[in-house]
Amino acid sequence: MAISLLNPKAEVARAAQALAVNISAAKGIQDVMKSNLGPKGTVKMLVSGAGDIKITKDGNVLLHEMQIQHPTASLIARASTAQDDMTGDGTTSTVLVIGELLKQADNYISEGLHPRVLAEGFDKAREKTLEILEKVKIPVEVNRESLLDVCRTSLRTKVHQNVADLLAEVCVDSVLQIKKDDKPVDLHMVEIMEMQHKTETNTKLVKGLVLDHGSRHPDMPKSLKNCYILTCNVSMEYEKSEVNSGFFYKTSEEREKMVLAEREFIEQRVKKVVELKKKLCNGTDKSFVVINQKGIDPMSLDLLAKEGIIALRRAKRRNMERLALACGGIALNSFEDIQESHLGYAGHVYEHVLGENKYTFVEDCKNPSSVTILIKGPNKHTLVQIKDAIRDGLRAINNTISDGAVVPGAGAFEITANKELNVFKDTVKGKARLGIAAYAEALLVIPKVLATNSGFDAQDSIVKLQEECRLNPEPVGIDLTSGEPINPKDAGIFDNYIVKKQIINSCSVIASNLILVDEIMRAGMSSLKG
Amino acid sequence: MNFNNCGDILTIQFGHYANCVGTHWWNIQEKSFNYSKNEVQDINHDVLYREGVNEKGQVTFTPRLLLVDLKGSLGALPENSQLYGDVIEPSEAQVEWEPARVDIKEENKLQKNKFQQDLEDEGNSQSVAEYNLENDVKVWSDFLYARFHPRTLNIIKEYQHGNDSLFSIYPMGGDLWKSEQFNEDFVDKIRNYVEESDFLQGFQVLLDSTDGFSGLSTSCIEHLRDEYGKNIIAFPMIPSFYPDYKFQTEEERHQSLIKDSSRVLNLAFCFNNLRENSSLFVPLCTGKNGWRQPGEKRKFYHCEYDPELYYHSGAILASALDTLTLKYRLKHTSYTLRDLSVDLTPQSRIAAAASLCLPFSLNSDAELIDCLDHWEGPLTQTITPNCTLGTDRMIQLYTLRGISEDRLKRPSSKAGTQKDLPAYKCETIREMLEFYLSCTTFTSINNVTVVDSRLNVETPFPKIFDKFVGQKGNIFASPRQPYADVDSVPVMAGLHNGSGVGEMLESLHTQAKRIKFARFHQFKNAGVEMDDYSECLDNLFDFRECYEDNYFI
Repeated sequence: MAISLLNPKAEVARAAQALAVNISAAKGIQDVMKSNLGPKGTVKMLVSGAGDIKITKDGNVLLHEMQIQHPTASLIARASTAQDDMTGDGTTSTVLVIGELLKQADNYISEGLHPRVLAEGFDKAREKTLEILEKVKIPVEVNRESLLDVCRTSLRTKVHQNVADLLAEVCVDSVLQIKKDDKPVDLHMVEIMEMQHKTETNTKLVKGLVLDHGSRHPDMPKSLKNCYILTCNVSMEYEKSEVNSGFFYKTSEEREKMVLAEREFIEQRVKKVVELKKKLCNGTDKSFVVINQKGIDPMSLDLLAKEGIIALRRAKRRNMERLALACGGIALNSFEDIQESHLGYAGHVYEHVLGENKYTFVEDCKNPSSVTILIKGPNKHTLVQIKDAIRDGLRAINNTISDGAVVPGAGAFEITANKELNVFKDTVKGKARLGIAAYAEALLVIPKVLATNSGFDAQDSIVKLQEECRLNPEPVGIDLTSGEPINPKDAGIFDNYIVKKQIINSCSVIASNLILVDEIMRAGMSSLKG
Repeated sequence: MNFNNCGDILTIQFGHYANCVGTHWWNIQEKSFNYSKNEVQDINHDVLYREGVNEKGQVTFTPRLLLVDLKGSLGALPENSQLYGDVIEPSEAQVEWEPARVDIKEENKLQKNKFQQDLEDEGNSQSVAEYNLENDVKVWSDFLYARFHPRTLNIIKEYQHGNDSLFSIYPMGGDLWKSEQFNEDFVDKIRNYVEESDFLQGFQVLLDSTDGFSGLSTSCIEHLRDEYGKNIIAFPMIPSFYPDYKFQTEEERHQSLIKDSSRVLNLAFCFNNLRENSSLFVPLCTGKNGWRQPGEKRKFYHCEYDPELYYHSGAILASALDTLTLKYRLKHTSYTLRDLSVDLTPQSRIAAAASLCLPFSLNSDAELIDCLDHWEGPLTQTITPNCTLGTDRMIQLYTLRGISEDRLKRPSSKAGTQKDLPAYKCETIREMLEFYLSCTTFTSINNVTVVDSRLNVETPFPKIFDKFVGQKGNIFASPRQPYADVDSVPVMAGLHNGSGVGEMLESLHTQAKRIKFARFHQFKNAGVEMDDYSECLDNLFDFRECYEDNYFI
């Protein structure tokens, strides 16, 4: 073999051996992930050697946490996490289907079928499955009910049902609040803020903004009603300039004089804001809040505090955009000709102190198109878990809006596809049909694992489902509390269309690639001179 | 006007070696905290530390620090700070889920070493236990004495810490910076620290410059510059030793050479970026050459250390850092980090060198005036690789700590021969040292800062001083008692800029130029093109020319 002539250290695995390596890796990673699938899957608590805890049920999180050494397994893992990056869900399914495709392929290949033929069959099956997907998808209107169904289905596979239902409402309400007509939703305009406080069921939607900092002056008011909001990106702190630095050449009096002159310049800026405040608020019940992306030094804070203004410094860059959307107004880069129309409005601005952390709530905005989801939880790992879930929930909603359609869940799609593929198989000539048969069988892994994870017999449930499916033109899924067939539409169990589509595409491609591998080698650059 | 308040500094540490140095540095500082109100202290700890409140309402005082390291590099140190909130015992009850369907996957519990255990049961901490830290220390958290704020620790999940870590090249770090963990969470943590402080002097960044952290940290420095426009002093670190130098076979030797080449490339890219984005950068290494084998170790009198141990070499660099940075963290001064970087970097000479004298060897019965009179060679030993400090056309900022004014000279009644020395007219240590420097250098600018407090070297600082060093760091003619340990020493350290720094850049340029870049496909795969490489080389070459004195005067 050529490589062993060039590099005697190269490790090589060929043909059947190479396939066996790939298949065992796929099975291995499948076994790890299997128990996670569905709302009845296991929750995994990962405890590190130093005692750190991570709780998750999300396949994506789990794959990120595990240090996967095996090259094939890490290829599958990467495909699945890519799935998550694109759609926000379906990681576990991807791993399961790839594993199952390889398992099925193994049976045929060991009987002498050439992998290339099998791969051809997979490809035909993939095209057909996409057609089936188009058929079973249900167009939906974007309304609260339909979005809740999808979001709930996704979240129940990630957190406890009670929390999932609460989060689903929070997520849907937040997206509906920021959605404008037919424009695509920018999920960045939903700020996610954590507070280590109370329990996860206290998580709520704030129709406005929550900032993770407060005023830094003891005399500033802690709460204001009826506020003008000035958002700006203007430095209000004194900084030493180049000419004023260093000490080799200057006397301290000279330096101090320069400092005063430069300080004067900053003070002018602050006075502009104060003037505007006086003009607009004095004599009315209105008040004034400054939120600055740049710094505000204690002396400027002092000037502002004397006027009863709340001033926040160093706001998040993205919050500038969010503030403009939540409160109206525009973020200013200079105070030249500053006027009322530049300002936003919020009904209530107040501070909440938690230990050393301060939070500022900007609430009661007029029709805000940026909102905040405030996550609460008793400890860090709960916060992390909820945050991951909320991200996925938001993605699920966004997918539904952009797809305009959903797919019946609870394994219904897989059962239908299996039935139709088996019919389609008979219309195909030649050995490629074996590939289609394998593909059809592999899809069943989803309902099977769902059943197993809920404590039912996999074969039993599948047989029941297939029978029901033959009789019933409606989609048929599995009820995880009884193990009996149900109509997922009635139960409100829906999956994202794009997620399913992505699973079908990526699984087929990865599985085909893996079975076509007939040589694996490990050889480094080591024998070439650097 | 609050003119004397120097303001706060945010420290950021990237990489394992930088963290080793950093750990020593924070240990040194916390060991020297003095809670008695009577003594006047000259160091302003508020510059690097912050006061906070934990969940139980207790006041905390923790470093204003962010550190980044790879997964598995923390050893037995939990990621969640024990200072804030209790450590939770893992159990099914923690999870709101059907208990039968909770799967607990526990890794083997890592044992804390004796030093860490003793720190934990505080009652025991007074006992004079003997620790064998030289053998026990595997990672920096093993000798960590300081306690951190929960914000401080940042662990990169994507790469595992270890000898054959895959996080080994510059562009990987840049890619990582774009990920959510850094571009949102880490950036937010920086902002939180900046928001808290009333006056921010700037940032000091300790970074590993030979692996993927070179790219990560320089991306971070770029961000700091864009976002805060403040002053950034970077200390790129070069480890004193790599495990792959202990090769056994020819194969391993090749591997080691290849790794060395990619380290040189990382350094070149890193320095090129620092040149552009930092206000001042000072490369540090305890080896003479730094790249392509760090070379023989820098030697200090009365100090014996093992360069193969990060625990030892880290301590040397930490002593230098603690002393050098005193300039901008003293109580009665308005000298800031910005002043330092402006003073030290004329004509875009952004890179500078550092030097150290540990301990500053003053005989127990002698005065500074005699000591300087008999001194041979330069006062301090450089700790910047490939760089010899000249005596001509230099800008030098020295800090001497731990020599009290009464050790300056004998009073005139007992002065004897001291009276004949011209330096006898000097009234303060600062004056005398500046006088000494003006006599030993030519057309140079010298500045000296003198600080009373000695460098604290109690455990966990390694026992690297020889037996002639006394408990307070004075040099004795006879060995000290075996039971007595050195608890503090005087130190002198300096920052220098001059043509010697140009030599360093030239050496790096020559080494980097020799490499056949096309062979290093990892760089190419990560999106670094041949053009980037040659541009980097050209920039380094131009940068080196800033140090040509012919153009300067």
